[in-house]
Amino acid sequence: MKHVALVLVLALAACTNVPIKQKFPEAIPELKEKCPDLKQIEGDKVAITDLLKSVITNYNMYYECSLKNDGWNRWYDEQRKIYESVK
Amino acid sequence: MSQLIWMINLIPDIFWTLLLWAGVLSVIASYLLGKIPFVSQYKIPLRVGGVVAVLIGVYFYGVIANEEKWQARIRELEEQVKVAEAKSADTNTVIKTEVVEKVKVIKERAKTQIEYVDREIVKNNEVIKYVENCPVPKVIIDQINEAAKGVKQ
Repeated sequence: MKHVALVLVLALAACTNVPIKQKFPEAIPELKEKCPDLKQIEGDKVAITDLLKSVITNYNMYYECSLKNDGWNRWYDEQRKIYESVK
Repeated sequence: MSQLIWMINLIPDIFWTLLLWAGVLSVIASYLLGKIPFVSQYKIPLRVGGVVAVLIGVYFYGVIANEEKWQARIRELEEQVKVAEAKSADTNTVIKTEVVEKVKVIKERAKTQIEYVDREIVKNNEVIKYVENCPVPKVIIDQINEAAKGVKQ
């Protein structure tokens, strides 16, 4: 029993930990911004031009949000590739 | 266990080399001493001690080699992590710049379009006539607003 204990102690003495921790990078703050709510049309008597302006604003808001979403996907794919390249 | 490893790490590597050679010499000496009268009584302890020293020496030779291998691996990983961090920071900068630039373009375009509506479209005769005679029905506005609300989480 003493011999087994000695062998175990010596065997465990040879164990090694690799003290390296890779951190996943922090996301870009601009990509973390919440998409704004679409613009509502206000007023009882609404002219077609107001409707048009609201549509323009909302379309552009969509494209801005879509761009950020694409940016997120691209950011994640590229950062993941970089993260996994460390082996 | 960590204290034991710490204590073992304090022993210089040369000690294990000396122990191994001392063991080998002891085993050889145990055979030589066996042939010398009156001294032969030490041959068994020398042989046993020598074999034990050889075993411990070889074991710690292995430990040292293993440690060196892992230290090399740590250095390699540290280098890889450093390169990855630099690459990651570059990627962040590239994506951030692209997104910020494109958002700027989109916002500028929206502003230009709305300015164009205020400046040109409202002056268009056909539009003026339409605005005067045909206000957009409230039911249509309500539906557009309803669609714009989306689904709240």
